[in-house]
Amino acid sequence: MGVENRPPGWQAERIKAVLGITTIVVVTVIYLIPVFWIVLTSFKQWDDVQAVPPRFFFAPTLENYSYLPVNRVFDQSGSRVVGESGFFQKIGNSAVIGLVSTFFAVGLGLLSAYAFSRFRVKGKSDMLFFILSTRMMPPVVVVIPIYLMYNFLGLRDTHLGMIVLYTVFNLSFAVWLLKGFVDEIPREYEDAALVDGYTRFQAFCKVVAPQAVTGIAATAVFCLITAWNEFAFALILTDQRAITAPPFIVSRLGAAGTDWGQIAASTVVFVLPIAIFTFLMRNHLLRGITFGAIKK
Amino acid sequence: MGNAPDPPAPFPLPSHPGGGDSPLPPRGGGARGGRSRRGLSDRQITNLFLLPTLLLLIAMNLFPLFWSLYLSFCDYHADRNQPAQWIGTANYAALLASPEKWRYFTQTATFVLLAVSIEFVAGFGLALLFHRKFRAQGLLTTLILLPMMLSPVVVGLFWQLIFDPKRGIFNYLLGLGSTVWLQDPGRAMLSLVLIDAWMWSPFVMLIALAGLSAVPEYLYEAAAVDRASAWFRFRYITLPMVAPLLLIALIFRTMDAFKVFDLVWATTSGGPSDLTETVSTSLYRIAFESFDTGQACAFGYIILVVIIALTNLYLRFMARVKGEA
Amino acid sequence: MKKRAMRLAVVWAALLSLAGCSKPADPGAPTSGAATPTSAAAGGTLNIVWAQWDPAKYLQQLVNDYTKETGVTVKVHEIPWPQFQQKVFVSLSAHQDTYDIIVGDSQWLGRASENGHYVELTDWMKEKLDLDSFYAPALEGYGEYPKGSKKYWAVPCEADATGFCYRKDLFEDPNEKAAFKAKYGRDLAVPKTWQELYEIAEFFNRPDRNLYGVALFLGKAYDSVTMGFQQVMWCYGGSYGDPQTFQVEGLLNGPESVTALDFYSRLARFTPPGSLDFYFERCLAAYQNGLVAMAMNYFAFFPGLTNQETNPRFYDKTGYFVSPAGPKGHFVSLGGQGMSISAYSKQQEQAKQFLEWFAKEEVQRKWAELGGYTCNKKILESETFRTATPFNAAFADSLPLVRDFWAVPEYNQLLDSCQKHWNAAVAGIEEPKAALDATAKEHAAIFQKAGRAKQATAGSGRS
Repeated sequence: MGVENRPPGWQAERIKAVLGITTIVVVTVIYLIPVFWIVLTSFKQWDDVQAVPPRFFFAPTLENYSYLPVNRVFDQSGSRVVGESGFFQKIGNSAVIGLVSTFFAVGLGLLSAYAFSRFRVKGKSDMLFFILSTRMMPPVVVVIPIYLMYNFLGLRDTHLGMIVLYTVFNLSFAVWLLKGFVDEIPREYEDAALVDGYTRFQAFCKVVAPQAVTGIAATAVFCLITAWNEFAFALILTDQRAITAPPFIVSRLGAAGTDWGQIAASTVVFVLPIAIFTFLMRNHLLRGITFGAIKK
Repeated sequence: MGNAPDPPAPFPLPSHPGGGDSPLPPRGGGARGGRSRRGLSDRQITNLFLLPTLLLLIAMNLFPLFWSLYLSFCDYHADRNQPAQWIGTANYAALLASPEKWRYFTQTATFVLLAVSIEFVAGFGLALLFHRKFRAQGLLTTLILLPMMLSPVVVGLFWQLIFDPKRGIFNYLLGLGSTVWLQDPGRAMLSLVLIDAWMWSPFVMLIALAGLSAVPEYLYEAAAVDRASAWFRFRYITLPMVAPLLLIALIFRTMDAFKVFDLVWATTSGGPSDLTETVSTSLYRIAFESFDTGQACAFGYIILVVIIALTNLYLRFMARVKGEA
Repeated sequence: MKKRAMRLAVVWAALLSLAGCSKPADPGAPTSGAATPTSAAAGGTLNIVWAQWDPAKYLQQLVNDYTKETGVTVKVHEIPWPQFQQKVFVSLSAHQDTYDIIVGDSQWLGRASENGHYVELTDWMKEKLDLDSFYAPALEGYGEYPKGSKKYWAVPCEADATGFCYRKDLFEDPNEKAAFKAKYGRDLAVPKTWQELYEIAEFFNRPDRNLYGVALFLGKAYDSVTMGFQQVMWCYGGSYGDPQTFQVEGLLNGPESVTALDFYSRLARFTPPGSLDFYFERCLAAYQNGLVAMAMNYFAFFPGLTNQETNPRFYDKTGYFVSPAGPKGHFVSLGGQGMSISAYSKQQEQAKQFLEWFAKEEVQRKWAELGGYTCNKKILESETFRTATPFNAAFADSLPLVRDFWAVPEYNQLLDSCQKHWNAAVAGIEEPKAALDATAKEHAAIFQKAGRAKQATAGSGRS
């Protein structure tokens, strides 16, 4: 393509693009400095973590990671290992509970969002407000009644119990956010599909759902993050079987003080699955809604 | 197979983007084209799609809400083996008469106002910045979402280290000497706001980004043809389409910011003294230190009422935005 | 169909809530098999719950010996300190048998015993244990309630007290010694009184050289500033109030207490920046960083200071001393926990057998070796113990001086009040007199509401 074929002002466009990308990179880097600090800390030895002034250059170590599966205590002479920590089993619990509850929250949320968006439902705004209100009560107030309820139903310290709990936590957000996205999808496409003989359900599956992929992806990411990091109920409602990682991660207090290196290492390991999940979803997250053909 | 047909003629400017809240009445068997369809009727679909959600929410919430409502009118301590005693509105009266509790409400409101405003501006700004095609877009977007992916307790803990006057990188990188942040009576609240904004701006950003992607390209093209200014494009195309989603993000951020607990508890514990005490930390003390369950329930309901009032404001604003757009 | 489904839902929800509504009068619905394993087979499992920290891990090591001897598995559950109280009391309030033995804070004794959560161990302890083997203040502090009643609810497990660590290299440096002598007219030595400590802190306070005088418990979280200040208050002659009449006014905010709080606030000027939220880990970190010449802390955290890995700069230059005395007395804040038996445990006999084993001298000896702080008098007074670590001698000397906060059921509210006002005082937000007046007023109101305040008698004694 010769120079003479390029549109006028292309230099300005190029500069703008480069400037834009540079800004993005710079902003991202600065924004992530705290995260970078956490990752850095995970490779530090005890003394380097607490150094005054803070240290960016140090002799790295992998011991914070290698000690994750066990309990390490410091005493006068050095450190010794006292049993297993069960860290990876706890991550496993988090994974199961997080993924399953997200699936249900997003699934049920999408269905309800569609119904609220497309149909006239008696008492709709009241229902929507009720759904919103389930997220308003401070968790502290409901910890005890839920604890009692779960005791009664035998759901305490079970995966099922935590899955149901987190699904319910996330439902209100899922319904509202997905309704917001579904509202933005023009009805003309479903109507055309209906005219062409599709049932409403098929129109939903084949026309609306694919176009809501961005919203579904975003909602899934948020729901998973919420379930993944939930702390208060995980602590109270679980003991041995269904205990998730968050209560464990923050509690690395030893005789020598807070084990920042271990907290950092376990945080890095724990956030990795979510980061990977989000990264895998990136195409869906960033997809624009296309006004392309309706696929038959 | 037709590809990329001409965009449907009817709308030069979107009035009802998707038809949002002016839906069609549920249809029975008769189709527009006159052919009867197999499959579920619209009414059945409505029920099927709504029932599981509603049932689940009701089942999980009904007992806790009634239990705490009843106890809010009682003198009851969960850790004592004594039955609840009805005392009417005494719990509510005691709470509403306490100047300290009012101060905690104001402190919480300050936190919410500052944090959510910053999150709104920063989040939307980031979305506008990221809303372009560039290499490694997926990677960079995932990265900037990382703050949100961390547990609030971990974020609080590490920002304590970052804000540490001597050990922390905040003072170090900005050359601020030994300025005290989280432990300074004047700056503690601002520091908390900063941490919260840092953590949750990506939340607003992601939603805004998704909303920006929903704006049809041809609208911008049409505006360009008419030589509309950048401000015009922003005000009359971008904003109206993104606004509903942004408002949803804001509603949820406001509700969550109002209930903020983990962040405050992990960093300042409401200190210095009680200058960063929020309604949730105060509630926690009543519920799990004093174990005055009755009063905790009453406090919870007061907070609930406040949040309901706030969200009603938002919803009314949202309806107006949708109405005028 | 929708209407019918809705009606069904409402009925179900109503049933659920009805079932739940009977709960408030009796939150003790027995679990339907959702709890942890109880002894069915010959071995069985005992469940102990403690806070998440190293001593709990030492305990897990120790109890493996019990398993070897008796075949009973013993599992130590750890809950992070900030949530420890919440989780234990939620479990107890719901009458769960999740935990058999609770290693609870000394302040919990009143609340847990008065509400029937702990099993009273008085007769059993008198019969099966040698009460004299326990250090008397430890037995009283960790096990007795009400104080002086000779009723016991716990076997002392982990003793702890506040003490100080200091930089021997600074104290023994000849230049420093000369300068100090010149300025204060006496030798630079380990302080025996709070006033001496003040002078040393002032002497070493050199902000421009990143060195500060002292690290103190000043924080708002949990019981930090209270634990730090209360011993100063006692040393200056103040008190929380009369333990019999619960008279607070004039004692908690009496002139001695005001002097003490004023002193503590002035001493706090010699702490590093950001010290307003210092508690045990921040004091440790400040010391490990070389930011302070002296640091207050619990003895439970001193083992890490002799460890080269966690204290590489000063592990061999650190000395330890007993918390100093004041003009009116010598008192030290009590930390530590005792082992109690849950009233809802289904294995109370087995738990008692375990406690009996735990109290044996050879077990206590091993407990001390592993890192636990024993309350056994003979071991504490032995030369072997005193010389086993650089800080054991100071610990043994501190134990006779320990004194505790209120252990009444309302201790949480009392503590909250102290925390809020005393943190404000050391922050300079409230004047010491005003802070103490406010605290005394709130304490009096709390006792009033709890029905404990009797007619105040003139000239009542001190706690």
